[in-house]
Amino acid sequence: MELEALNWKIAAKAGEGVMSSAKLFAKACKRQGLSVFNYYEYPSLIKGGLQSGQVTASLQGSTCQRRHLDLLILFHEKFIQDHLAEIDERTLIILNANAFDPSKYPDLKSKVVAINLTKIARDQGANPLAANIAALGISACLFEMDLQIIGRVVVEEFAKSKEAATANLKVLQAAFEIALSMVQQGNLQTFGKLISTGVDEQVLVSGNEAVGLGALAAGLQFYSAYPMTPATGLLHFLASKQDEYPLIVKHAEDEIGAINHALGASFAGVRAMTGSSGGGFALMVESLSFAGVAEIPLVVLEAVRQGPATGLPTWTSQGDLNFILGAGHGDFLRVILTPGDVYEHFNLSKLAVELAEKYQLPVLIMSDKYLLESNQTMPKPALLSENVRLSMVNNGQLGETALAEGEYLRYRASENGISLRSIPGQTNALQLTNSYEHDEYGFATEDAVTTKQAVDKRAAKLTSLQNDLPKPLYLGSPNPEKILISFGSTINVLRDVLLDEVASKAAVIHLPCVYPFPTSELETLLEGKNAEIFVLEGTATGQLAKLIQRETSLPKMHSILRYDGRPFYSEDILEFLQTGKISEQYKLI
Amino acid sequence: MTEITLANLMSPVAPTWCPGCGNFSILTALKQALVELGLKMEEVVLVFGIGCSGNTADFIKGYGFHALHGRGLANAIGIKLANHRQKVIMIGGDGDIYGEGLNHLVAACRGNHDLTALVFNNHRYSLTTGQTSPTSAKGTVSKSTPQGLIEDPIGALSIAVSNGAGFVARAYAGKLKQMVDLIKAGILYEGFSLIDVQQPCPSFNKEQDYAWYQANVFDLPADYDANNRGQALVTLLDQDKLGLGVLYRNDQHVAYHKEVPCLQNASLIEQFPKKTDLSKALVEFV
Repeated sequence: MELEALNWKIAAKAGEGVMSSAKLFAKACKRQGLSVFNYYEYPSLIKGGLQSGQVTASLQGSTCQRRHLDLLILFHEKFIQDHLAEIDERTLIILNANAFDPSKYPDLKSKVVAINLTKIARDQGANPLAANIAALGISACLFEMDLQIIGRVVVEEFAKSKEAATANLKVLQAAFEIALSMVQQGNLQTFGKLISTGVDEQVLVSGNEAVGLGALAAGLQFYSAYPMTPATGLLHFLASKQDEYPLIVKHAEDEIGAINHALGASFAGVRAMTGSSGGGFALMVESLSFAGVAEIPLVVLEAVRQGPATGLPTWTSQGDLNFILGAGHGDFLRVILTPGDVYEHFNLSKLAVELAEKYQLPVLIMSDKYLLESNQTMPKPALLSENVRLSMVNNGQLGETALAEGEYLRYRASENGISLRSIPGQTNALQLTNSYEHDEYGFATEDAVTTKQAVDKRAAKLTSLQNDLPKPLYLGSPNPEKILISFGSTINVLRDVLLDEVASKAAVIHLPCVYPFPTSELETLLEGKNAEIFVLEGTATGQLAKLIQRETSLPKMHSILRYDGRPFYSEDILEFLQTGKISEQYKLI
Repeated sequence: MTEITLANLMSPVAPTWCPGCGNFSILTALKQALVELGLKMEEVVLVFGIGCSGNTADFIKGYGFHALHGRGLANAIGIKLANHRQKVIMIGGDGDIYGEGLNHLVAACRGNHDLTALVFNNHRYSLTTGQTSPTSAKGTVSKSTPQGLIEDPIGALSIAVSNGAGFVARAYAGKLKQMVDLIKAGILYEGFSLIDVQQPCPSFNKEQDYAWYQANVFDLPADYDANNRGQALVTLLDQDKLGLGVLYRNDQHVAYHKEVPCLQNASLIEQFPKKTDLSKALVEFV
């Protein structure tokens, strides 16, 4: 039997290799030509606790985790109780143990098979931690995967040490053989043969990596940050690319230092970015306002996790929307991009870098723990990108300019609000980039007329800026009974919802940009639609729904809110579409 | 490229400082130092803090960056990393650099970033009408401390010396020639140079007027060994008598940008990627 989809999960204590095991399994599925989503849950600690890595893969397109598991690999028996909602009689549990006594679990419907993965690793002379690789060997057998493919993935993972690569490959093969003999003896049953399309043209990246790749493609040269989950992945990714690209990554003394390093670098002419989560971004906002008044190009990743304050450091949320909309004192123009899948993270990160330079303003990329730390397949992006300097004197070239002495004004009035930006090192283009309100040269001013002109000049960018922003995406039934509106990562779950027949009378609208708000586009999409509208968001107070009310003349909408640190699940939304009711972990207004 | 001359540095905006303010002579010294160094107008970036000293931004022409309060050194680090061929000079007050921005001062010292910080130290927050600053003496009565300041003054120069700054000096606004020489030496030093300039504030610091300074400053003796870190720290422990000159200098400490691999042959801005090839970055994701 050919298998077109699987839902696989591994759970262990922190430090037992769950993260890498799941990623390798996800990659093996990708190599077989499937679309993959690889989701992690973990507590904010280094050893102990419960960590899990999940892989959904399918031919038709896996865009999110799903609750019901086919195979669950547990390193400790006590974790069974943590997964009861995800398992039933169709689920197989592989327990890393010598034996399992089902009489202790009279209500457990799933079959549990004990296999000592640690012993398999040890018997092959490998580090006992290679139990996580043994888990892959068992899995490969149970899904009748190509052992060559997953073997190559494992070898690549340990490319730095031939010895480790050989040892882990032996563990993988031994585990595969053990599972195979159990299957032959009738102690195990495979799920069928996972389909292999022979076409592997995708890449498997996390949201953080996609943001980093997009920024690199756009010619980013400077990233400064202070570590904070879930933005740390971007810091790590870019830091690891400094040998290969003309890029400086600065781990700053604090978030205020980070954003100000980036502002300084941007002023001096390089494309610059910073990133953090809500708490760190809170420290940056005075400087965001500086970027606004002084017209300094800047890209900021706001990687939202569940707040307030330290909150749930490793769990997802969209609860910073209002904060990002209003961050920074005073009135100034900003862009807030809210990408959905990893490919959109790549594309909008690239766009963010370009928009920041073209319009000389702060561009925020709002994403969340859910997508930034999940791996997902996306098309391989164009390998070569050409970067052109935007809105700069002499196209950003240092040295002699064609300017005559006394001709240049940094903040010269213009119809579209954009004035050419000079950088230190250019002749006849002196200027003062100023946090004070300023005149056209940059000198501070408190004059009423000059102040109004300066404010209006900056605000005038809005008109042309709107043409460059990504538009709302409409998916699903053209004549829906229900319309689900979401922003950011939730589209991944809603795409999965739309695959189900239950959703045949539903439509979905995804907002990849929430500021400047796509007022007319959203109103047009909803024109003449006689449907109930629900706004799905990871906030406790319906922040997106309120933003839509503020920015459009649309009638008041219902809200489906989730604010417990967990992502939306397509099963829950499907249940809602079918019954009008939703799990108590959500709030329906 | 345009030569730096006093005429070219002249701003159309006239200073708004009080009569007798030490800022006038510090600005004169800064301009003189820039002229004597023979630099070009395009080769210098002046970063300004917020305060009476920061207002210098309007009173001198050049590539200027008028930062937020306390953050100028963090910006200066970014500017230098983006284009290390520029001379980057930060002008700020004691409240800005030793108070609000202390973490950035420590970072600039630890990295020995090739910047010059010129601290206009008048021991007061004068632009906000005279509250105590981190360098005010214990007991100082001001509008924010009507019962007298309880804290001790900050040992900012000791912090700099003990955290890696390669050039730490003290100047006095009443001694122009020495100021010019110290600013020049600081700019030429390849690494972080901190020049603390003691100055009177005739409006809000009546205690430390010119007469007080004349009685409390002294030139470091000819046999003072600026390369001796321990001696510098001991000298700085005495906060009542203010030794003028280069307190500490370390020519072995390599500037930050010289250790950044990608800056070995060209500045970052000169390496703007007109074409980016993602192939290498994608290898791990295939």
